[in-house]
Amino acid sequence: MTHLLRRPETGAFAAFFLTYLFFALATPGTGFVSLNGTAGWLNLAAELGIVAIPVGLLMISGEFDLSIGSTVGAASMILALGTNQFSAPTWPMIGLALLAGAVIGLANGLAVVKTKLPSFIVTLATNFIVIGATMGLSRLIANVTSSSIFASDSAKLAFAARFGQANISILWWVLVAYIGYRILAKSSFGNWIYATGGNEDAARAAGVPVERVKIVLFVATGVCAALVGVLQGIQWNSGNSTYGMGYVFQAPIVVVIGGMLLTGGYGSVLGIVFGTALFGVISSGIFYTGWNTDWIQLFLGLLLALAVLANNYVRRLALSAH
Amino acid sequence: MKLIGKIKAAIAAVVLGFGGVSSVLADDEGPILVISGPLSWPFFAAVKQGFDDGAETFGLDYQFIAVTDTSNMTSDYPRLLQQAISRNPRMLLVGEFFPDGMDPLIKEATASGIPVLIHNSGQTLWKQNGSIGFIGEDPFQMGFKAGEIQAEAGVTLGLCFNQVPGNPTVEERCNGYVAAMEEAGVETIYQTIGTGDATNPQAMTQAIKGTLQANPGIDGIYTLNAVPAMSALRAVDEVGRKGNVMVGTADLSNEALLAIQSGDLAFAMDQQPYLQGFMSMQVAFQYLNYGLQPIGHVKTGPLVIDQSNVDATLDVNRKHAGVRGAS
Repeated sequence: MTHLLRRPETGAFAAFFLTYLFFALATPGTGFVSLNGTAGWLNLAAELGIVAIPVGLLMISGEFDLSIGSTVGAASMILALGTNQFSAPTWPMIGLALLAGAVIGLANGLAVVKTKLPSFIVTLATNFIVIGATMGLSRLIANVTSSSIFASDSAKLAFAARFGQANISILWWVLVAYIGYRILAKSSFGNWIYATGGNEDAARAAGVPVERVKIVLFVATGVCAALVGVLQGIQWNSGNSTYGMGYVFQAPIVVVIGGMLLTGGYGSVLGIVFGTALFGVISSGIFYTGWNTDWIQLFLGLLLALAVLANNYVRRLALSAH
Repeated sequence: MKLIGKIKAAIAAVVLGFGGVSSVLADDEGPILVISGPLSWPFFAAVKQGFDDGAETFGLDYQFIAVTDTSNMTSDYPRLLQQAISRNPRMLLVGEFFPDGMDPLIKEATASGIPVLIHNSGQTLWKQNGSIGFIGEDPFQMGFKAGEIQAEAGVTLGLCFNQVPGNPTVEERCNGYVAAMEEAGVETIYQTIGTGDATNPQAMTQAIKGTLQANPGIDGIYTLNAVPAMSALRAVDEVGRKGNVMVGTADLSNEALLAIQSGDLAFAMDQQPYLQGFMSMQVAFQYLNYGLQPIGHVKTGPLVIDQSNVDATLDVNRKHAGVRGAS
């Protein structure tokens, strides 16, 4: 029992559970707790969750990635320009979009490791560079900054299939979460991630390839952000260079809600999953209440603050329990 | 000798002439500066297309200035305008999106003799701030027309979905919609979302879905952009009320046009963004060269696109990407 309480995700789960309970009680008869309502907030959480997990691992290793926003948009535009303006087949363009994500991640990783500048600034710069390049190139090539996507049926099946109202993105989320969990909790690479974020110099002295850990995580983040761009693009039949801009801060937010420390070295994948689920519940549930939406960001902010406080309280309780 | 003398005189005259011309030009040689909306929005991409084509047609050089980060536009636009004015431009073509910050600056510019032409937003202000004219939509009328169409179609509870709360021009569309509905005795709900989700179609879908569930009586939706329009269609479908909710939108996209063709989307209000850019350039050329200008407000919208004219619009869209502000 104590062991369970001490886990980083316990607080996040408690916060998620309380939030869900709150909305279940505040929205009677609107179908928020129905299968379709559940599919709704899960769809919302899944897309954010896919990118939040690598961002979380990166934050455990002590780094930030703010370039995810423009990477999502860039991937969707690569797919759009390729399948629309160049009539290219879908799958190779998906590969190219993911590759672009990997290259952006690699550039971030190398820049952070080589220059020793804070990743907060480096990736913020990348975020502007990528969205600028996406818009500039799209205008140059096709004179547009958003464009239709013509995806093949097999690609639609893989990235936009729906089971009832639940999107296949939820399965992708589960897959990314499972891989993230295996890596962080069950592999020596996972130990390296904790060590890098916990105390970088000590980790280096102990023989942990700190640079490689960071670069690999940046690449993984880029690829996952590109995957979200592909998912959104195919789902909405349209690429847009501004897709994903909201994730720049939403992803670190859900990671912190999930129990991660901003200083690095602490956290778990399950915690990030609960943090993301909580965010999905709040940002879709609030509309089921029928409250005046002028106040929505006020509610959102208050609920987030409450959720993090509850999370913190449970964690402290857990860590002091003997 | 005489000939050479004549040539010398001619050369002198030409040189003097050039000197004279360039000194006249020096007074108003500044650049033509355009301050317009972010290019990440297909709408403003079409406005810029109009500016580009206009500049080419009339042989003008100009510089297009807009924000790239849309999270802080209310303070970014006055700053951009200030910087543009300080470059002493030959002419300023401005979208007056945020009047509180921009109007005093425009007054300063016109007072110091810089000709200013307003496009897209600022339809109620251009006469007072000394601008030579306005080319664009009347956002209130755009929304009003949408409200009229829905009220006439028998909508009993309308939803105006605003994905960018805080933008006065866009809010005017909702105000127009609400006014038209009220005039017909129809109730309305006004919905906004968090600023981080303005470009996330999934978040908008879930938001509209929630509102539809909380208000089972909603049978009309008006969205202010084509991306939320697609989210609204998905939300209506997900709550099982397809066919019972009339969805219309401001602005176009290829998806929106296809949805009109298939009958899912009732209408899209086109304000013909290309014309706003092209005609601004035309007025600039004629004003700077001949001192000519249109008298009064030049309206480019709303042009209602519905099943009767959607095929032609789609056709143009295929042949000339970006011109209709949709792709």
